[in-house]
Amino acid sequence: MLRGAGGVALGLPLLDAMQPRAARAQTSSAPRRIMFVFQANGDQTKQRFSAAGETDFVLGEFLSPLEPYRNELLFLNRLNKRFYELPEDARSDNHQQGGSSLAPFTSGAGSFPIGGTEDQTIGYVEGPSADYAIGERVIQADPSVAHRHLVYRVGDKSNNIWNLHSHAGPIGEQNPVPPETDPYAAYARLFGSNDPAAQQAVQRQLDKKRSALDLVLGDLGSLEKRVGAADKRKLEQHTQALRDIERTLTGSATGCGTLDLGAKLEVYKDDNHAAVGQLFFKISALAFACDQTRSIQFNWSGNTSNRVYRNLDLSEGHHDISHDSSEESFATVRRIHKHLWTENTKLYDLLKATPDGDGTLWDHTLIVHWNELAQGDSHSIEDSLIVLAGGAHGYFTQGRLIDYQNKTSFSDMLVSCFHYMGFDDVTEFGDARLRLKGAITGITA
Amino acid sequence: MWLLVAALGCQGTVDSGGVPPAEHAGNPGSPPDPGKPAEPGTGSDPGTIPAPGANPTPGSPASCATPNPGTAPLRRLSNAEYKNTLSDLFSGVDGVNADIDAVVRELPPEAESLGFRNSAEFLTVQSLVAQKYMDAADRIAARAAKSDGLVPCQPEAGNELACGKQFIAAFGAKAYRHPLTPEQSTRLEATFQKGLNDYGFEAAVEWVVYAVLQSPEFLYRVEAGKAGGAAGVTQPTPNELAVRLSYLFWQSTPDQALLDAASSGGLDSKELVAAKAREMLADPRSARLFQYFAEWLDLDRLEEFSRDPKIFKDLPAELPSWFQGESRTFVNQLMANGGDFHELLTAPYTFANRGLAEHYGLEPGAGEGFVRVSAPTRSGILTQAFLSTHDKSNRTSIVRRGLKVRTDLLCNNVPAPPNDVALDLEGLGEGLSQKQKLEQHRAEPTCAGCHTLMDPIGVVFENFDAVGRERSEDESGQAIVTATTLTATRDMDGPIADVRELGEKLAASAEARECYVTQTFRFFFGREVEPADACTIQHLRTKFTENPKISELLVELTQTDAFLYRPVIEVQP
Repeated sequence: MLRGAGGVALGLPLLDAMQPRAARAQTSSAPRRIMFVFQANGDQTKQRFSAAGETDFVLGEFLSPLEPYRNELLFLNRLNKRFYELPEDARSDNHQQGGSSLAPFTSGAGSFPIGGTEDQTIGYVEGPSADYAIGERVIQADPSVAHRHLVYRVGDKSNNIWNLHSHAGPIGEQNPVPPETDPYAAYARLFGSNDPAAQQAVQRQLDKKRSALDLVLGDLGSLEKRVGAADKRKLEQHTQALRDIERTLTGSATGCGTLDLGAKLEVYKDDNHAAVGQLFFKISALAFACDQTRSIQFNWSGNTSNRVYRNLDLSEGHHDISHDSSEESFATVRRIHKHLWTENTKLYDLLKATPDGDGTLWDHTLIVHWNELAQGDSHSIEDSLIVLAGGAHGYFTQGRLIDYQNKTSFSDMLVSCFHYMGFDDVTEFGDARLRLKGAITGITA
Repeated sequence: MWLLVAALGCQGTVDSGGVPPAEHAGNPGSPPDPGKPAEPGTGSDPGTIPAPGANPTPGSPASCATPNPGTAPLRRLSNAEYKNTLSDLFSGVDGVNADIDAVVRELPPEAESLGFRNSAEFLTVQSLVAQKYMDAADRIAARAAKSDGLVPCQPEAGNELACGKQFIAAFGAKAYRHPLTPEQSTRLEATFQKGLNDYGFEAAVEWVVYAVLQSPEFLYRVEAGKAGGAAGVTQPTPNELAVRLSYLFWQSTPDQALLDAASSGGLDSKELVAAKAREMLADPRSARLFQYFAEWLDLDRLEEFSRDPKIFKDLPAELPSWFQGESRTFVNQLMANGGDFHELLTAPYTFANRGLAEHYGLEPGAGEGFVRVSAPTRSGILTQAFLSTHDKSNRTSIVRRGLKVRTDLLCNNVPAPPNDVALDLEGLGEGLSQKQKLEQHRAEPTCAGCHTLMDPIGVVFENFDAVGRERSEDESGQAIVTATTLTATRDMDGPIADVRELGEKLAASAEARECYVTQTFRFFFGREVEPADACTIQHLRTKFTENPKISELLVELTQTDAFLYRPVIEVQP
């Protein structure tokens, strides 16, 4: 199903490019993919739905871009993140802890002087995020998948406790994963250089890489024998990173697909925010189609984002506006989210236009839309809205709105994501205090 | 941009009545007070660096008599150190420097920790980082292999390996910052041989550079420590001490002269280490120390500086780089001229080029570039871009400016706002100034707790707008009153009239001085202060009180247990 010229324009080159891999996919069932899509600062909980029946719900104005897709969406409303079950010295501010909702673990110490307690600073969360943990299961099950997960963020480049949403863990360790913020670099990492000279030298390049990896892994192995426990863990992680690269050398995506990224945009320029997001969507679709990864975390911004949406004629930052309880400010917050939801539907169209196995990528992907907060002016971590989108192999019963009245936790929803991906043995994810029931019942087909 | 939720948040700490008492607002992670401010062992020892476990120096407090270095985690090069290191490694190799800026721009910024980006704990090599190091090495190696000045010999046809070995020994030792072990040489020679066999001599050189730049021996500062040691403590080898010095003062790899000095006994006593440190401070490479100030004061965020063009019309596009230039020149001249903590916070002058002087409305100085200009209403770093990096796109932020002072100049922790309470500030009243709105806000008991920590400090900066210009009216058209009363500090409580008085108070405050010591420790040792660092911290505090020169504090860093010693490594099975 193609919607709009954008989908057609992108769909055709993908169709040509991906025949070999797509044909291969048909011999087995198409892979299951998951993509987490983040937008910041909460919305307005009362304005999400103007009528709230399970199937006859009416989308509020800022969710209205989703109306054409409503039968392929599942709205999980009022999930509870339960952060206040954690002691004060193990949870950061709601924005930060909420920004790491995909990693429902305690926060460590040592990185930030706001939150925590008066005599102990707070740190990053101490456990893996779902995008990482799911990706890890994927590559263990199928070593031909090149990338455990991919993490993308639009806009700002610096990395801090406000915008690092992906974490490698393991449980008990702070280990934030930096996102790729440049779509051109993201593309080159997955599909190699566009430089024709470099293409010609592929074999030489491969030989050089293998030779260097041999040396570096050797040096790391020797060094691991000469350091203490904490440093050894650091070096083991480095070794794993090189093994990750090694895997991409054998499972090369060369020839799977190419993408015309168009005229090069200034990546960090305000005006290009939406366009850069769309580039990441295209790269994500191609990465899925070529089975380079099955888990992606995409972020329209960091949490607490103070991005000024000048394209909406705003002059105040998003976070600042979200702190104001006036109707005027809420109207602005709704406009920002309506804009982002409109952009999100372009991802839907793109996936629908991309053939995959016996159907399209949309049929074989679950998109999980999330936010660090429910509502910005109160910093609430109850009342979270999750929108599950995508055909997702028909795993979920869609076209419904379910109100959980804060009696089901965000972590429970993540367990459902593991189950969708085929990892039914996962019965819990995250710190025990943040969990309630395990996988959510009554939402699967 | 410094985005703070607590900036507009509230906190009602029921138990403590809102305001943390001064003793609760201490330096996070600071060690227990080691007792009387006596000279710790490491500060008063004679000549040579005592071997670990040596007899306590008479008169030293027992707890500081034996060296206690705290932890010494493996440190990956920060992106700034990586850039400087490449630059020094390839100085004299034509054309490489042009590529360095480009490759460093592609590195993922380090995860920030306590305001700094060089915390050993978070400087890891994950998949994306490893990939970027690979890409960087690719570009640098390809360029370097084609350049003059890298290979010290001419390859002989049929016996290219001989020259290759010579190149490997020289380049490898320089890149790894120590002579190669036989194992490391063997690996590099194998890499060279593979490249040579399949693609020829230039490729072999390229492959070696490519591999070296990804080796942990290059990317981390690897230390083994001297063999032996007592009670789990040893000393870095002379070579390792040279590396510690060079990354402290030059933020980069040591040069041959420094390594030679180390290997010939030139760092064998504390006095020699201090003398070398002062010598290194006089070297132009010490200008890279600005990195510390840039991260501490968030000047590194000027890259993301953005202002609402409707409100700030005709702002010069170069303003962020002028701000950088101002603080860089200011700090560098303080370092060079023995400027002290007081001058850092109170200098009634700044450095401006013609454009910035015009922007500020100051009389331009004579000469090109950033020159000293008189600014009698300004107050050192407090009125430099330190302010603007905490403002909003369309106005100043009293709360964030105050918060920055609270967290980064006083090292206090501030609680997060509570869950699910109204955090609204803007709706408090039409026509009120930001200051008045905040006063109303603090009338709410749930908001007063936190905001009392931030707002009264932030108010003194109000006569400087969100782009650093002096003004007399705020955004709402109200006359600005900077007078305020500081509370919840250890030794600064009371009324102040303006930012200059805040500067004086901070400069005289033990709390602020101790915080500055803590920040300096964190950045230069790449980790948080630990309880084991009590003697190191006490030494630094004492010395900094006696001699508050900014540059001398850095020299004193080299006289501490944390610098002169390290724990014996307990190798893991």
